[in-house]
Amino acid sequence: MADGKLVKDVMIGIFEYPHIPYWFTINQAVRIIKVSFISSKKYPEPMAILVFDEKYNLMGTLTLKDILRGLEPRFMQGSEKAQGYKEQESELSLIWDTLFTKQSKELAEKPVSEIMAPAKQFVDPADPVTKAAYLMVHHDLVLLPVLENKKKFVGLVRMIEVFDEISDSLIKE
Amino acid sequence: MMELIDREDHHKLYHQLYEIFKNKIEKSEWVLGAQIPTEEELCKTFNVSRVTVRTAVMELVRQGYLKRQQGKGTFISRTSQAEGLNMQAHLRELCFEEGIPFSPQVLARTVMMPLNGLDTLLDISPEKHVIYIKRLWSVQDEPVMVQECYIPYHLCPLLLEDDIETRSLFDLFEKKYGIKITRVKNFIELTHLKTDEARLLNLPEGAPASLLTQQFYSGDTLIMYMQSVKKSDRFRIFMEFERKVA
Repeated sequence: MADGKLVKDVMIGIFEYPHIPYWFTINQAVRIIKVSFISSKKYPEPMAILVFDEKYNLMGTLTLKDILRGLEPRFMQGSEKAQGYKEQESELSLIWDTLFTKQSKELAEKPVSEIMAPAKQFVDPADPVTKAAYLMVHHDLVLLPVLENKKKFVGLVRMIEVFDEISDSLIKE
Repeated sequence: MMELIDREDHHKLYHQLYEIFKNKIEKSEWVLGAQIPTEEELCKTFNVSRVTVRTAVMELVRQGYLKRQQGKGTFISRTSQAEGLNMQAHLRELCFEEGIPFSPQVLARTVMMPLNGLDTLLDISPEKHVIYIKRLWSVQDEPVMVQECYIPYHLCPLLLEDDIETRSLFDLFEKKYGIKITRVKNFIELTHLKTDEARLLNLPEGAPASLLTQQFYSGDTLIMYMQSVKKSDRFRIFMEFERKVA
């Protein structure tokens, strides 16, 4: 990269995001999203919650999409191989509407550990921003944890800052 | 004249509401045995959130003024404060970490957001992070108490890395963080063990136990909210009160 920017130059603090332990239910996570983002009108990109274990190690992240997927009635969670027309998919969403109050409320009692995106990819504060970009693109991530010495969770890198850095180096003469 | 919440008052909303309700009970405006208005009605009357009403009501339930009956409502169960309970007590006797040969095992030490009215209890904004500590206390290898502590993260962030198996939290608060505990509110009640507590204490689920809820203050700041579930047959709670005689 032109400026040789590092992850530590663009990372943000972990307390920018709400924390929960893995045993919290989806219902509790929803309430936290409401309080931390929606009611307070803070809309960070991405809107996410960090999920930790009992020793305060990062286990995963939980986005609004993960939560909605977790609340989806089971029969609608088709396998990736299933074939279907888009028209049918939109009809299915209407069925979800009718079932929402019953089945989704039951699903909301599941622990968040069942629906979170496990934290498997990390960067080091001294890594170049391009490494973060590579991991985000190849693992479909919008938020990347930063670990110091492969152990201590010290920050987060978001797509927006990574994009900003990379675009700057492209635009600059 | 109906008492109203004073939003300019620096006291917490739930505390003001608690005082209003307590007055109503003590002045028999709400009579013994009667049902109090529903949460929804109280929210409308005082223009406060459901969490605020619930926290004030819970406080009065803990103090024995109110009794909740599942599916029926909340009723007045006592109209005056029990005599003598407001006497001065020595802090040492009220803290279970002191004086008794307990050994703690840290089951969890992590960070969470304050749910279920914990933000109101800790007097912090609901977006603030809270340190959560869960410990199993044993006496001579026999597990006797499951304890959960909630501490606002901003007060002592390094507590996440401190040795809390050999040093007491009070010691860390006072010596490392310069936070002097000046007041402790204690609520003692009977409870029944939940699944997880029963497993940890090697007892059947639903077995009777005692629940000690403590609020630790430094001046007017609430430092820690702690709940300890103890085997009821294992030991007695000892409290010595020293009355200030005029």
